[in-house]
Amino acid sequence: MNIEIEIKNLYFYYAHSEKPTLKNNNLTIYRHKVTALIGPSGCGKTTLLRCLNRMHDLYPGNRYEGEILFKGQNILAKDVDLIQIRTKIGMVFQKPTPFPMSIFDNVAYGLRLRGIKNKKELEERVEKALKEAALWDEVKDKLKESGLSLSGGQQQRLCIARAIAVEPEVLLFDEPTSALDPISTGKIEDLIVQLKEKITIVIVTHNMQQAARVSDFTAFMYLGELVEFGPTEKIFTRPEKKLTEDYITGRFG
Amino acid sequence: MEKHILRRKFFNYLALLFTIISASWGLFWLFFILFDVLRHGLSALSLTLFLADPTPPGEEGGGLRHAFVGHLLINLIAILLGVPLGILGGTFLAEYGRNWKISGYISFLADTMMSVPAILVGAFVYAVLVKPLGHFSGWAGGVALAIIMFPVIVRTTEQMLKLVPWTIREAAFALGAPYHKVIWQVVYPSVKTGLFTGILLAIARVSGEAAPLLFTSFNNNFFSLDMKGPIASLTVTIFVYAMGPYEYWHAQAWGAALVITLGILLLNLTARLILKRRRPR
Amino acid sequence: MEFTNRLFAFLTFLGAFLAPLLLFGILFIFLKEASLALGKFGFFQFIASAEWDPVFEKFGAAVPLTGTMIVATLSLLIAVPFALGVALFVTEVCPARLQDLIRLAVELLAAIPSIVYGMWGLFTLAPLMARYVEPFLQKVFSPLPIVGFLFQGTPLGIDLFTASVMLSIMIIPFTASVAIESFYLVPPVLKESAYGIGATKWEVIKDVIFPYCKIGILGGIGLSLGRALGETMAVAFVLGNINLFPISLFSPTTTVTVKLANEFTEADKDLHLSALFYLGFLLYLLSLLVIAGSKYFIYRVQKK
Repeated sequence: MNIEIEIKNLYFYYAHSEKPTLKNNNLTIYRHKVTALIGPSGCGKTTLLRCLNRMHDLYPGNRYEGEILFKGQNILAKDVDLIQIRTKIGMVFQKPTPFPMSIFDNVAYGLRLRGIKNKKELEERVEKALKEAALWDEVKDKLKESGLSLSGGQQQRLCIARAIAVEPEVLLFDEPTSALDPISTGKIEDLIVQLKEKITIVIVTHNMQQAARVSDFTAFMYLGELVEFGPTEKIFTRPEKKLTEDYITGRFG
Repeated sequence: MEKHILRRKFFNYLALLFTIISASWGLFWLFFILFDVLRHGLSALSLTLFLADPTPPGEEGGGLRHAFVGHLLINLIAILLGVPLGILGGTFLAEYGRNWKISGYISFLADTMMSVPAILVGAFVYAVLVKPLGHFSGWAGGVALAIIMFPVIVRTTEQMLKLVPWTIREAAFALGAPYHKVIWQVVYPSVKTGLFTGILLAIARVSGEAAPLLFTSFNNNFFSLDMKGPIASLTVTIFVYAMGPYEYWHAQAWGAALVITLGILLLNLTARLILKRRRPR
Repeated sequence: MEFTNRLFAFLTFLGAFLAPLLLFGILFIFLKEASLALGKFGFFQFIASAEWDPVFEKFGAAVPLTGTMIVATLSLLIAVPFALGVALFVTEVCPARLQDLIRLAVELLAAIPSIVYGMWGLFTLAPLMARYVEPFLQKVFSPLPIVGFLFQGTPLGIDLFTASVMLSIMIIPFTASVAIESFYLVPPVLKESAYGIGATKWEVIKDVIFPYCKIGILGGIGLSLGRALGETMAVAFVLGNINLFPISLFSPTTTVTVKLANEFTEADKDLHLSALFYLGFLLYLLSLLVIAGSKYFIYRVQKK
């Protein structure tokens, strides 16, 4: 197994905050595997996820300490090109966020940002992305229609297609199915398992069963600290820490 | 006990009656004024009113072509100046400057600016663009109207942009888009209808103004396309003609008043209709 | 690309900066233009003097300032009760289906340009006042003690009374809109608990809605005052522009805005123009105070 991302001694402080929200996180994300981040509300799993594509930089005052190594370089360094990082590490959000444009334009958005203008190339890559997102058959006849005209589950798959169109190496999912119905949830979980063959996936979920179904590795977090990390099967059947066991069995959270 | 309740019911009835009377009072004036404007203005409406220029004072006949055209030109300048600047300002307050403390103050100032007496704006532009140059101009009139329009557009833009949920911007950032592209390609399209109606309403408001034009674009009895000199406008013409001594001037003023009122009411209704149709989303 | 982003950000900042720039710029320019008159007449002397003589170049603000305040106050006195009544009608009395329609009517009334109001006032309202309303009021009220003096003088229709009524009609939709927004903010739960105890509609209005919306309504009235202070065209047609204190409701007089409208382009002497700017400066300060104060009030309510 190869290492995709290595998180070393990561501390994170929100703006105007003396106390760190993330404390000394050390975590390895393996290539082409699904790693789930679980834990009770406020444990820092979403905060950790958003460090990986430096989303926190959008809000002035946030600061990181420690290192996140990706492809040999520390992406937390000051001189790193954020746009480059986000090319390689993409994100899908909790609420489906289709842009106010056609389905085609939504998926092509990231490509156009990269400067790809050739019509044929765009069409090919959009079709490929939509197929990989298991949405092609449903929208192939209405690519010109607005992205907002799709159902919730379809919109989320559209956002996934949009994210994978630029062929990232890593895809971050922030509770991607919490706003969806069970059937759409199932479709997206299947999608994630399929996507991992080509893309490394990190998923934050508050739904333990989802983590158990979908991930290869699981990291359990509590109050900003990484409590336990290991293969999903082990975490859910023979956890090493009592805290992990309490959470898994539903004692709290 | 019975008497007490009866008393309360009586006052209740009085109060309700008063609200109905108030509403009727308001509606009465609305219809009375509109009806009057219609009645007097309709008879003055003719092709001549739109296509002919004024006759020498005292001579019956003629039209207000010069005022219609002048009015359009002045308002066009106001729109071209006020709208882009307003949108830029509102964008700063809602986007780039959204975390800055100063944005709150600027927003408050813009809000206050919306209620500044229009005639004072006219006097300001007079001091800045008319007196130093030595003559009235259509440009000065346009600038005065733009100054009145500007804070309205800033506030509308700010409010509309703030309605867009933050996650949609994050989704664009996550794809590697720089902020200005996020704004132009994702945020602006999300609010284009609301923004458009806001602009329509601002235009409706500004096109009915007369006071700020009194000492900027002033007036002109002849047809002119030269914005560097005084230009006639519908509203100022109404002022001059209505106060003037000639009957036919009064009639034409009514005609102009009808056109302006209908135009503004139409803009208002259109804007509200557009908003209504979007609601179900 | 980063350059374009920086450039755009800078442009938006310029756009925003334009607001305070204009606001204070206007203040500064007015002060500068008024400096001639300010130097000649000072502050207290200017405020107190009722003279306005372009020929002998003696100017004083007493009449227009008084006129402005009286007209604004009178029109508010008439408008506010009706405006509140309309607002209450829309939010509490009116059946739901009609609500949108009535609100639309209120907005349309507000949209009619003031010059159309003014012209209508000159040709329709003033004659009505002169022929029917004012003589009637005079007959009824002038014999009375204390208030009788208000109804004396020749009722020509071009006077304080007509102007105030005219302005009040213009103010009603404005005040009503602000009040309606205020009333909608009252949590339904509050009203329901009052109804639950058996309160009548009026009691809910006076004991729940009004206290809750007190500040918002005051703010709305303040804004309307600001609007009334600055109104020009509607009043210019029917006030007369005579530089004399009104001695009764039926006297013609003048306000700052009407004076500016009528004399600005005619003033050929520097001092005359400067005096007009001085008046404008005073009105500007007054308006800003009233408007900013009211907005602040309303802002505090919305924060709740």
